[in-house]
Amino acid sequence: MNTSDLNGIIPKSNRLLDKARTYLDDFKAWVNLDSSNLSTGQQLAVKYFTVAVILFFAQLLFGMLAAIQFIYPGFLYEILDFNVNRMVHINAMIVWMLYGFIGSIYWLIEDESGTGIVGLKWANIAFWVLTGAVTLVVLVYLFIQIGPGKDSSLWFINEGREYIEAPRWADLGITAVMLVFFYNVVATFSKGQWSGIGGVLVLDLIALVGLYLAGMFYMTNITHEQYWWWWVIHLWVEATWEVLVGVIMAWSLMKLLGVRRKIVQTWLYIEVALMFGSGILGLGHHYFWIGMPEYWLSVGGFFSALEPIPLVAMVVHAVYDAGVHAFKTVNHPALAWVVAHAFGNFFGAGVWGFMHTLPQINMYTHGTQWSASHGHLSFFGAYATINIAFFYLAIQQWRGGVWMAAGAHHAWRWKWALGLLNAGVVGMTIALLIAGYEQSFIERAVEGSTWGGYFAAQNEPSFQRAMGWRLLFGGITLAGFILLVWDLLTIGKGETRKIPTINQS
Amino acid sequence: MNETPLWASESFWKKIAIWVTAGSFVILVILTMDSLSKTGAGSKRVPAYAVINKKIDYQFKTALHKSMPVIGDNEFLFGKEYSEEEARQLVDLGKKTTQTKNCMNCHTILGNGAYYAPDLTKAWLDQGWISGEMRENMMVKFLMDPANNARTFGSNRKMPNLAITEQEAKGIIAFLKWMSSIDTNGFPYNFKTIEAQE
Amino acid sequence: MIEPVALQDFFITFFSAALIILAGASYALLFAWSKVNSHFRIKIAALVSYAVLILSVAELTRAAHFQGYWLIISMAMAVGYFFAPIGIWHLCVKTHADQDLIKTKGGRR
Repeated sequence: MNTSDLNGIIPKSNRLLDKARTYLDDFKAWVNLDSSNLSTGQQLAVKYFTVAVILFFAQLLFGMLAAIQFIYPGFLYEILDFNVNRMVHINAMIVWMLYGFIGSIYWLIEDESGTGIVGLKWANIAFWVLTGAVTLVVLVYLFIQIGPGKDSSLWFINEGREYIEAPRWADLGITAVMLVFFYNVVATFSKGQWSGIGGVLVLDLIALVGLYLAGMFYMTNITHEQYWWWWVIHLWVEATWEVLVGVIMAWSLMKLLGVRRKIVQTWLYIEVALMFGSGILGLGHHYFWIGMPEYWLSVGGFFSALEPIPLVAMVVHAVYDAGVHAFKTVNHPALAWVVAHAFGNFFGAGVWGFMHTLPQINMYTHGTQWSASHGHLSFFGAYATINIAFFYLAIQQWRGGVWMAAGAHHAWRWKWALGLLNAGVVGMTIALLIAGYEQSFIERAVEGSTWGGYFAAQNEPSFQRAMGWRLLFGGITLAGFILLVWDLLTIGKGETRKIPTINQS
Repeated sequence: MNETPLWASESFWKKIAIWVTAGSFVILVILTMDSLSKTGAGSKRVPAYAVINKKIDYQFKTALHKSMPVIGDNEFLFGKEYSEEEARQLVDLGKKTTQTKNCMNCHTILGNGAYYAPDLTKAWLDQGWISGEMRENMMVKFLMDPANNARTFGSNRKMPNLAITEQEAKGIIAFLKWMSSIDTNGFPYNFKTIEAQE
Repeated sequence: MIEPVALQDFFITFFSAALIILAGASYALLFAWSKVNSHFRIKIAALVSYAVLILSVAELTRAAHFQGYWLIISMAMAVGYFFAPIGIWHLCVKTHADQDLIKTKGGRR
């Protein structure tokens, strides 16, 4: 590039910026949201939600690219290879869900503690630092992608460990931001009042941050490295995240349905006991085949058989509540997504998990599309759904607490978004289940897991067809997402009916 | 208020939650210490890095219902005998390279990763390398220039060029050879090695 | 020591494992429902669900070659999934016992 090109670029980019600003203003006018309806903590929360939705889109986009590559392997070959797309796909997922959780907690702590957020200035700085860091990490993923086999690559490009690929500088940055977040939470509760919900939240956050540290180290010994790596991944998604969702749900139940605090907190403790009681040692099901001693087969098998118990507890409790109290809700989309959460969590984590987790069968299913099938349904069912439910709660407040239940305008949008997103994910799950069944059968059981066996399974027509269906349902999911965003931006616009206040204690 | 029995009270379940969590965590810590001590490099389950000087095979043991790694006589890698420290450095380079090249987001390593490319757990022993003599050379060539030495098995899926240097390629091969000697409780099942074929 | 599932038992293993969880949940659901609405037929349906669960556990035990201490898992599932919904139901009733006695101040907002 020579200087005359550069001279042309600067005014051009200025004009582009102006244009972008105009579009942004037009967009804001169209959306017409009034932030004075939100407390300061909630204003921060909706920033987190906005980034979460953008990252959700990135997850779907790069998932689509990777899905296309399964069918047309030459697609974007040596431009955006499968490993890059897949990495952005899963990283965007982890990060958007964390953004959703962090936002939800900023949303609820002022109400829960009875005071404003302590250290709000720092919280805002932390938000921009985190968002800047995430952007930079993604840009490096996309444009630098890989590095030489040196420590500097681990520090600045990519750690190459599934789900926690973020380079080490970002690990440290994320930890620093999490500490600010942690300070906000603890200081806010300390200034206001503590509660059972607050206590569980703080202890869970300590575990969450502490576990992340376990995943930061490089080790030559792959068996040890994968041991600690699972500490982060498993103890996040099958223990601490579940409890975080429990905290968010507990608060929401009090606020939305007027359930009494004592009941909500008792059940939060029950859930913690069941989740951690089965989930912490359930970690064993990841240690079957990585070189760890044989007793993990029994430990992992036994606690995996217990892991559905908390889900059964939820089923019973839901029936009890529905039967004994006829609850009314003022936010239908949020309630519908909570119901989707209950089903998705049960099928994704419970049924899909247990189907292939015992070592006698996991010997064949480990490292096949089975895991992908389980992963799609359980991450969506357990975490995407609950975040989306909270987005609807947030937008309701942002619109000034307007009515979002029976007789709301344009209700078809959220219904179709719900339907398309769920149908898309369930469709992908079934397609991947068929692929995984075929792969574990042909590659693992018949062919004995050789490279020849791997490709024999990949080339099977039934596998290929399944990948086609997966792409199709991925498209349906994406369509559902677009509708979801449109609905979130417009729902409650022009609605004049307000929600009645709910009594709670 | 008085109707709530102890076993349904908030304070009871608070204690239970704390005890169950702490108890599970303590058990996990104890198991962790035991597991890590049994799986250090040089342990029975995870051999020392100098195992790359030896012939490695993976054979089904009927009495155990599973395949076990079998470590045999000398079979030097790249015609050189490595000391434990040299072997560790080479394996370390290879391990690090598998991370910085993001191998795990196509392949699986010990069965963990993505599912777009074959599992690497026993890749050193795979029959795809045709014979023990040809293996090292084929692997180096493949890693350094995968597009032109593609092994697609009719799938059209080609590994991209990852700018792997010769030294890094050798490191990766040492890492794969070492990894194939780890006792993985019989995973993958029914695997037929390059040795079994000969 | 484990004996991996035989090739011809693949489908039945997945199927029975899924059925354990589904039957367990449907038993829990129907049991809870029978408490809310004490209809004879619902109780029968709950027991049928539990019977399906027991059959699935037996089938999984066979297909996955459970022996020795692995049978503990089969026992735990058969016993645990029978009593868990009952226990949880009682917990629901007791934790909600004083639900309607006290109505305190309204929401802060």
